[in-house]
Amino acid sequence: MSKRIVVDPVTRIEGHLRVEAEIENGRITEAYSSGTMVRLLEEILRGRDPRDAWAFVGRVCGVCTSVHSLTSVRCVEDALGINIPPNAEWVRNIMFCTQYLHDHVVHFYHLHAMDWVDVVNALKADPKKTSELAQSISPWPKSSPGYFSDLQKRIGKFVESGQLGIFANGYWGHPAYKLPAEVNLIGLAHYLEALEWQKEIVKVHAIFGGKNPHPNYLVGGMACSISVDDVSGINAERLAHVKQLLDQAKVFVEQVYIPDLMAIASFYKDWGSIGGGLGNFMVYGDLGENGYKDEKSYKFPSGVILDKDISKVHEVDLRKDDEIQEFISHSWYEYKDGDKVGLHPWKGESKVKYSGPKPPFDYLDTTQKYSYLKTPRWNGHAMEVGPLARVLVGYARGRQDYQEVVNKTLKDLDIPVTALFSTLGRTAARGLETILVGQWAMEFYDKLINSIKSGDTRMADTSKFDPSTWPSKAVGVGHSEAPRGALAHWINIDDGKIANYQLVVPTTWNASPRDGNGKLSAYEAALIDTPVADINQPVEILRTIHSFDPCLACAVHLYDENGKHINRISILGD
Amino acid sequence: MKAAHSILVLGIGNYLMADEGVGVHIAEALSMETLPPGVDVLDGGTGGFHLLEYLQSYSTIIMIDATLDNKPPGTIRLIKPRFAADFPRAMSTHDIGLKDLVGALQLLGSAPDIQLYVISIPSIQEQGVELTPIIKRKIPALLDLIRQHIHRILVDNNAVPVIA
Repeated sequence: MSKRIVVDPVTRIEGHLRVEAEIENGRITEAYSSGTMVRLLEEILRGRDPRDAWAFVGRVCGVCTSVHSLTSVRCVEDALGINIPPNAEWVRNIMFCTQYLHDHVVHFYHLHAMDWVDVVNALKADPKKTSELAQSISPWPKSSPGYFSDLQKRIGKFVESGQLGIFANGYWGHPAYKLPAEVNLIGLAHYLEALEWQKEIVKVHAIFGGKNPHPNYLVGGMACSISVDDVSGINAERLAHVKQLLDQAKVFVEQVYIPDLMAIASFYKDWGSIGGGLGNFMVYGDLGENGYKDEKSYKFPSGVILDKDISKVHEVDLRKDDEIQEFISHSWYEYKDGDKVGLHPWKGESKVKYSGPKPPFDYLDTTQKYSYLKTPRWNGHAMEVGPLARVLVGYARGRQDYQEVVNKTLKDLDIPVTALFSTLGRTAARGLETILVGQWAMEFYDKLINSIKSGDTRMADTSKFDPSTWPSKAVGVGHSEAPRGALAHWINIDDGKIANYQLVVPTTWNASPRDGNGKLSAYEAALIDTPVADINQPVEILRTIHSFDPCLACAVHLYDENGKHINRISILGD
Repeated sequence: MKAAHSILVLGIGNYLMADEGVGVHIAEALSMETLPPGVDVLDGGTGGFHLLEYLQSYSTIIMIDATLDNKPPGTIRLIKPRFAADFPRAMSTHDIGLKDLVGALQLLGSAPDIQLYVISIPSIQEQGVELTPIIKRKIPALLDLIRQHIHRILVDNNAVPVIA
């Protein structure tokens, strides 16, 4: 006999995601992932000036704002045949690395850690033992017994006042929490430190992008000017500030994030065989050492791995009509040619047609359409995108930097390479690529400085900025590796205006409904076989879903039809 | 350093979601005006965690946001949330990051005085970058409320002479 449980919305994510799962004998046997808000960004962009698209897509959400803007200017530059100067490449890459450092740390501590760290239990920790433990895993200076004891008192008062605040939604005391109180206290301390730290690193965006949140981009380059002596431009003082922020970030990642990740992971090794899911992984690639157009020089190499076979990496082509396609057999959309066809984004359509149950309802009819997300496929295959995909493709391509960090982690945790295909592997991969990105950020910073020193101050190529220089029709595609995974925008330009604009975002790959052949997408596949100890407190579901770092704000967009944003878990039927 | 009477007018919301972006429209309008010294305006967009620095840098935050609370569209209310839980429940798509931030600021012991103006928007709304007429009509009144609020704070802090 199975029970169906509903988690809606899944808490601590941006945007709106609903998960329905069938549970039998304490394990998930069926899972359905539904985006519950409709997205109409494509409609907002139609008819607008392509040079403005970055500003609109940058507003999609507050987490990946700049990476959408970056992808947008790349797709317009592709359509119009614009080559950007090297300085703009390096500035874009530094901002991109900055976003990773910020995003992955915030994800770990503020969106995911509470699935593993029991905050209330941290109050029982012995500050002296906590200090000893902290000092044994990291040289990070904030680790005295007094520091942990003060923190405990402060949090204790907060909890006693009945105002749990950020921690109000946790399943504290749940048997699935396995950490000793001292590890919980370290996790809590660093939750707060990470919060203070994250506000520093984002200043890089304000320095190069003029403002933050929602920094400025420019078709043809970047909108900042380099002038070593000028007070208003990117001068020597600002460049030194960037370096200082990147240095601090590297230290924080290496001395706080990674030691915590490893300490926590060592108590949850069983999650190295849970939540593996599809076993298909896709990366578009990014961070070219010689610029975006030289794909061979990507720090994040592109490629596809099928069925966990890391001995073979397949190539990806975003332009081929039959390679990447979006299907709607379980999505609340309609295509001119019906529900059975798949469309390449250059021919993409975004006509919404809700056919689900009238709210309020208990559960979705998952035999029919059940999500506002379309179902993207690569050559017909469902794909997982994100940190695990990137780390596996880099590893499978024999890249030494990837192999070093991966092999060290497997050795330190004493787990086999197959443990990477799991919830734990996904969360670990995010940390491992953050180490790499912290190193790469410095390389791109040095490239920028060397370029400026050589006398090159060009930041944009505006020779094709004027629409009179454009062809009457043009198509383009731009891609990037957003923190959450492969992201691409496709544009059709007619007479200087946007005729069609399609975004296929990472969370659409991961969170989409099954396809017309009944093949599950990444979230649904990863939930199958996940144990659920207490159906009233399905923290295990959150662990696996959060390991993907869901960001539904861009995958699906706009409001819940009912205006209901209540966190709830309902248990339906028998 | 925190000035004694530093005020940030912070408009938040999603500009792509019509009325949901009313806070951004307010920030845009106010940024065109000359405001007293010590008063800044920020279009916070869907900034979430990116806004922490700003929340810690001012003694008072006058925040403007839309809410879906089933009150008549255009209803303006002033809320003084002390804790994350005091925020209206249905604060659109950016609520998670923002509520978490306020909760976190409490923990850090550096929460500013937040004065939150919420505007009730219809539960079913148009999409796009334009406000619906019913919300658009409320903009001048809301701007007035904010200007008066700023003035009151400055008077209380003896930062401006009282106008009889």
